[in-house]
Amino acid sequence: MSTYDVELIDIVKDFDSGSGKLRAVDEVSVQIADGEFFALLGPSGCGKTTTLRLIAGFEQPSAGRVLIRGIAMEGIPAYHRPVNTVFQDYALFPHLTVEQNIMFGLQMEGTKAKEARKRAAEALEMVRLSGVGKRKPRQLSGGQQQRVALARALVKKPAVLLLAEPLGAPHLKLRKNMQVELKALQRDVGITFIYVTHDQEEAITMADRIAVMNDGKMLQIGAPEEIYEQPATRFVADFIGETNFIDGVLIERGLDGKAKVRLTDETVITAQASKALTSESGLVTVAIRPERIGLSTSPSSADALVEGVDASEITMLDAQVIDNQYIGTDTRYTLRAGDAIELVARRQNIDGRDGGAFHIGHSVKAFWRNISATVLDS
Amino acid sequence: MAAASQMLVNEQAMRRNHMVRQLGKVGLWLNPIFAYFFLWAPIVVLVLFSFNSSRSVASFTGFTLKWYNNILNNVMGAERAFSTEIMLNAFRNSLFVGTVATLIATVLGTLIALAMARGRFPGKGLIDGLLFLPVVIPEITQAISLAIFFKVAFDWIAVISGERIFPGFHTIIMAHVTFNISFVAIVVRARLADMDPQLEEAAKDLGANPWQAYWRVTFPLILPGVISGALLAFTLSLDDFVITFFTSGVGTSTLPVFVYGLLKLTVTPEVNAISTIMMVLSTLLIGISLALQGRNASRS
Repeated sequence: MSTYDVELIDIVKDFDSGSGKLRAVDEVSVQIADGEFFALLGPSGCGKTTTLRLIAGFEQPSAGRVLIRGIAMEGIPAYHRPVNTVFQDYALFPHLTVEQNIMFGLQMEGTKAKEARKRAAEALEMVRLSGVGKRKPRQLSGGQQQRVALARALVKKPAVLLLAEPLGAPHLKLRKNMQVELKALQRDVGITFIYVTHDQEEAITMADRIAVMNDGKMLQIGAPEEIYEQPATRFVADFIGETNFIDGVLIERGLDGKAKVRLTDETVITAQASKALTSESGLVTVAIRPERIGLSTSPSSADALVEGVDASEITMLDAQVIDNQYIGTDTRYTLRAGDAIELVARRQNIDGRDGGAFHIGHSVKAFWRNISATVLDS
Repeated sequence: MAAASQMLVNEQAMRRNHMVRQLGKVGLWLNPIFAYFFLWAPIVVLVLFSFNSSRSVASFTGFTLKWYNNILNNVMGAERAFSTEIMLNAFRNSLFVGTVATLIATVLGTLIALAMARGRFPGKGLIDGLLFLPVVIPEITQAISLAIFFKVAFDWIAVISGERIFPGFHTIIMAHVTFNISFVAIVVRARLADMDPQLEEAAKDLGANPWQAYWRVTFPLILPGVISGALLAFTLSLDDFVITFFTSGVGTSTLPVFVYGLLKLTVTPEVNAISTIMMVLSTLLIGISLALQGRNASRS
């Protein structure tokens, strides 16, 4: 008996395209625990939606197995699987009222009308939408339709709820509110959520774990902090948040996880090697987040810059400010170090506008702690 | 100076553009007037002369309902050769053929539309193209091919079973079904194309098997399209002359075939009257059909 709600084992999905086979999902294996909020994150066409459809039963895998609560789903049609879906455009039945929409799934189970009506009312209350039961879906706002779609799926008490990028609300504040509500709702009902999105911020805010997908492959599976702090590949580092990449050659890799990289201008810097680093070609890239880069105009030594940190633990480059952008909470500096390296640094505007300090054309020291930078395969 | 003359040139260009646009607007406005004139003028004349008190079509001499009255009083056509009885019988035939052909064509056409919209099978593109054939090929071609087909088929049956089948209602109905299927399929398919395929997936996701998903979700949503397709088929069936003429047997004349019989002798005002009634009936049915399609469109 499996302890996982959903298990994908070496899943492959090929589609026939005009010129041959198109691999949408490429040997994906993942285990999702009971009650987990799991996000499938990636750009459009990365295979995340196909993966979701394989779990729902709308597609059959070309190879591999889908297990739900330990039971192999091979040959089990969508309408017999203990999963329900919130579709991207909600897919509410336009000819039925909100109440009839929610009761639909219960009636298919053979629930008596009276009982179904009671549970539909409870489901509407759960998504804070009581009193609209008699209306048709088209009479509701986009946000309300979203809630009805949620209620319709959750009323069936599925083992797993699949959400196909449903928070497409154009309004940023509304979307943020829905994120908070959805997370709270998931905690309340305790049902496993598998959430497909291309929005990295959405995934980071809501998910317990994230799988980053590209080209049909799951590149990294981990908690949001892990994905952000220890990206496994250049793609992941680039896709999640903003990242600077400094290309170089790996010259030394210590057992402690430290790696020495020679940059194009012959400078050697030390950074943390990613666990996934293979360095087969020797060509690597050092990833460093803009908010981890400190700036200083004083010519003092590095150990004076970060208190309590030894100078050998700090990387410092001479750079020139080539642009600064005020963006409210932060100021975003574009820097050039040497001929080839361009960096973006973000400084918080804690004491008013920080931008006054570093003007365009100024020479500055850009520095960061070695443990903040990650060495990845190029 | 240069800037000023440049402005002048620009102004002239703008004025010219403005004139071209105005001309275009007038043209656009005139275009439908001419188009509708050519389309409707003969029909207006027909309706007008169905109320003409003179037998001649040379001039309109006064308003009368005589010809409509004649239809119901056994005095029709040259030499009063046609009785109301025969006409009513032809009308009953038309209704019978239309109803049966519409029912069969609606079921089959809807099934084809579903297969075309949702199914994936080899040769789909070919079948899709063939579906439009009855809509585009000349009616006379289809009529002759059907007549020959029935002849050949009945000859074979006669050879094999020794029994000869004669053309009659069954041949007319079969012929009407063949062209009506296409129209129903096209109308229903348009409706299906508008329908979000996710709705069927949503139904299955909620536990409906394909049969339940069809009757609970797909069918109610395409029903206006099905009704509208059926009304279109019924109208086409009711109005059809050429194909019916080539496939009918003895005593199975439909109303259009009967009207043709009247015309063979001479154009009489009664023909105008019957035609006007048929036109009003057809327009009414097509109107309902379009209204249903329109309601569909605004709903989705």
